[in-house]
Amino acid sequence: MEFRELLKGPGPVILDGGMGTMLQAKGLRLGEHPELAALEHPDWLLDIHRSYVEAGTRVLCANTFGANREKLRRTGKTVEEVIPPSIAVAREAAAGRALVALDLGPIGQLLEPTGTLEFETAVDIFAQEVRAAVFAGADLVMIETMTDLQECRAALLAVKENSTLPVLVSMTYEERGRTFLGHSPASAALTLEGMGADAIGINCSLGPREMPALVEELVRWTNLPIMVKPNAGLPDPGGAGYDITADEFAAAMAELTDLGVKLYGGCCGTTPEYIAKLCGALEGKTIREAPRSVPAAVCSPVQVVPIDRTRVIGERINPTGKKRMKEALLREDVDYMLGQALEQTQAGADILDVNVGLPEIDEAGMMVKVVKALQGVTDAPLQLDSTRPEVLEKALRVYCGKAIVNSVNGDEEVLEAILPLVKKYGAAVVGLTLDKNGIPRTAQARFDIAERILSRALSCGIRREDVYIDCLTLTVSAEQAAASQTLEALHRVKTELGLKTVLGVSNISFGLPARPLVNQNFLMMAMTKGLDLPIINPNLEAMMAAVRCYHLLMNIDTDARDYIAAYGNAAVTTSITTGDAPGRPAAPGGERTLEQIVIAGLKGEAPAAARKLLETMDSMEVVDSILIPALDEVGAGFEAGKVFLPQLIQAAGAAQAAFEVIRERLSAQPGGESSPKGTIVLATVKGDIHDIGKNIVKVLLENYGYPVVDLGRDVEPAAVVEAAKKHAAPLVGLSALMTTTLGSMEQTIALLREEKVSCKVVVGGAVLTADYAKKIGADFYAKDAKESVDVARRVIG
Amino acid sequence: MIAVTQLNTDEILRYMGCPSEKADEALRGQVEACIRELLSVIRPRWSWRESALAFEAGGVRLESGLLLPGEDLSAHLTGCNRAAVFCATLGAEADALVRRAERLDMAKALTLDCCASAAIEAVCDQIEAELQEKFPGCFFPFRYSPGYGDLPLGVQSPLLELLDAPRRVGLCATDSDLLTPRKSVTAILGVAQGALEQKKRSCLGCPAQGSCQYRKAGGHCGIS
Repeated sequence: MEFRELLKGPGPVILDGGMGTMLQAKGLRLGEHPELAALEHPDWLLDIHRSYVEAGTRVLCANTFGANREKLRRTGKTVEEVIPPSIAVAREAAAGRALVALDLGPIGQLLEPTGTLEFETAVDIFAQEVRAAVFAGADLVMIETMTDLQECRAALLAVKENSTLPVLVSMTYEERGRTFLGHSPASAALTLEGMGADAIGINCSLGPREMPALVEELVRWTNLPIMVKPNAGLPDPGGAGYDITADEFAAAMAELTDLGVKLYGGCCGTTPEYIAKLCGALEGKTIREAPRSVPAAVCSPVQVVPIDRTRVIGERINPTGKKRMKEALLREDVDYMLGQALEQTQAGADILDVNVGLPEIDEAGMMVKVVKALQGVTDAPLQLDSTRPEVLEKALRVYCGKAIVNSVNGDEEVLEAILPLVKKYGAAVVGLTLDKNGIPRTAQARFDIAERILSRALSCGIRREDVYIDCLTLTVSAEQAAASQTLEALHRVKTELGLKTVLGVSNISFGLPARPLVNQNFLMMAMTKGLDLPIINPNLEAMMAAVRCYHLLMNIDTDARDYIAAYGNAAVTTSITTGDAPGRPAAPGGERTLEQIVIAGLKGEAPAAARKLLETMDSMEVVDSILIPALDEVGAGFEAGKVFLPQLIQAAGAAQAAFEVIRERLSAQPGGESSPKGTIVLATVKGDIHDIGKNIVKVLLENYGYPVVDLGRDVEPAAVVEAAKKHAAPLVGLSALMTTTLGSMEQTIALLREEKVSCKVVVGGAVLTADYAKKIGADFYAKDAKESVDVARRVIG
Repeated sequence: MIAVTQLNTDEILRYMGCPSEKADEALRGQVEACIRELLSVIRPRWSWRESALAFEAGGVRLESGLLLPGEDLSAHLTGCNRAAVFCATLGAEADALVRRAERLDMAKALTLDCCASAAIEAVCDQIEAELQEKFPGCFFPFRYSPGYGDLPLGVQSPLLELLDAPRRVGLCATDSDLLTPRKSVTAILGVAQGALEQKKRSCLGCPAQGSCQYRKAGGHCGIS
């Protein structure tokens, strides 16, 4: 019987139990490689598998948990040498009474951003295992003991792209109901079902008694069959075993039938005895399948955002009409975008739209970079915004969680190109009510397009709950009759099709005075018509106020908690015409000059002081006569041992805040910002992940007006060379913190010289010395962040 | 269960490159706020294993067969016939907290990073105390980690494997042998039946002594 039939049949499906402890009992010594058992002790494996089949197991896991090329490297064997015999021995033991699964465990290295393993490398590692298993005739794949949802995704994609095998996906959680990385069962459920898992579940770390809470969370967020494969109780921290008996295990597991669990097995510490008792306890039990209904929702690995109330999509990461963002994109200044992201989530955005489309740049490459970086700093789910399918696919691959794709429309070509991607990666999708003929004028015609998009999405296998419709806002100053059509279409899509709705709000007021007034009122009208997902600038207090008021008045904000939290202590004097919250009152102690503010490191006061100066002074004058001298004074104090690193960085932070004001001013002027200074490329070398020192250097260099291209940490020598060439950088800065990574610093410098890149190289880091810097061919050694500025001044001026 | 409830502000200031007597109230306040924020998000986890020791020409061999190469650890463990091998991590949350702060406020990021360094030391101190209790009447040299002396970082991966660290505590090494999450430690705590000469984890015993950033600045990291 095939696995998918087994899932459909009545009654529980019995899996197997622990392997590691069984191998040790057979005589596997500590330090021996369990992955090689099929080659070295096939008789043991045959015996263990057989006893599980005897005990009632219907699905055997082959002994391939650690059979990936990374873990096998130290054994001298290849994936192709290990997986086929492992599957063959399980097949022999099964003797037609059980199916055989390729068991895929974690690679053993952490993926980005906590570790350094890249997503596509992980996919490739798993793909090699899957291909070997398909060749060996495995019946299904079990991905298990995962703690990182992104690693699960890599494994699941590898299965889907290299086989048609059914696949079970299971993660391991701590008692708080999260994985080690903080990922939740809810996020796993939404993400993995979206990507086509056949069943999902929980294995390892906990015992059967800790399962109910986790199972309850899973069933709220998935319609898939649930698998449970716990340990024999909780482990002893010193490794001395687990705390419950086979009888206790079986009894606790049997209670899970009430929660609708379909697949039952055991993990560490469980033996054929546990499985036999489990079989006995489950005999005759019916699985209570309560009807499930999974709501519309998107997620990151740690945060699920159900679309059960107005959810704000922040619109700021988008270069359209934003010069400062365009500049950041051209300079690959991902940090600027991360700052925008954090500012929006702090202001109340639930989801962030990400659009990096500029004709001059590699949009796909930039999208991947930004999505990865964003997921390193924010838990908010993302809305991936591009018109190009290849950009969307790259972004969907690396995005961890359930994203929103923005967008498709009624044009058949667009639907055909993008809906399959939405399905493959399990995203939700925004459908714009327009097509080849443009935006229809009437509500009826827009409704018709919405219906068409829905029907095409459903036929691609996308859930109804995952289709969000945008009825399109037109500028009311150009077409005054359009707003009411938009609202009517929105209302009909919501009530007649039962779909969630999206709307970019800000366009409505283009060309009018007091735009926030119009925006706020239009937003309120749209919400009363059923708008779920307004795309707005959450930094505008008036817009967030409308959302909070709507939730208050519609009895969504229970006991007015959110409203009171936002306004309980505020004297609200919001200016509706600017939409901004009132500025902070001047600091006590009267007016400080910008120079004093920078020296004292008072970041919060710097922007206002800079703005005030700009009323009477030219931008460059503020920089040259105030900011730079102030920074120099702090720098001199640092050298003299009177000022210390924290104060130096605080001063830099204050100066940076003032610079940001000046930059905005400059880029608003015709011609934009002109940066006369040469670009500096910074990187923490390959193999090194300690980069806070390099990041401090970056802030200081930017303060002195040097454009910095920051390549991040663990950077390949070739990437440094490429960036130095591309930006014609007169100076490259490299950092390394570990003695073991000084070698890659040397290689990077050698490659720069070999490729004849005409740049100077400055190096720094805790383990470096001036002598060593010279030895590896660096032009300069900077002992601290301040010295790196001195070097930049010497090289660039 | 390891629970850190307080950290030493002066020690953190030293990590930050600021002698504690030079720190004003504002800076101290910032450090204390960062300590609270860090301690509220970290989830220290650890795993350990007891092993007999065999001294060989090339180093010390653990019961599992793993050789810890070099002369320095052998010398350090003289008089010990057993060891408690352990690993500890603050978890991925500490890294994420620093990463996020770097985008908003670099001074805060530096402070948090130094708080995390102090926190993992504090966690190891607690673990060491707990382990010592498991060997009543025994004597212990200070805990010793890969990267000290001539004990290479290359032993990180096999040590983690021995401790089943990826599965038990979510701790892995990169392919260049750095621990991830970053604020993590592996260590060997020797166990002796007889009294040992009391050695301190001083600069002399430290691998970084030639190029240490604290020593370069004329100071000391504070680890005694």
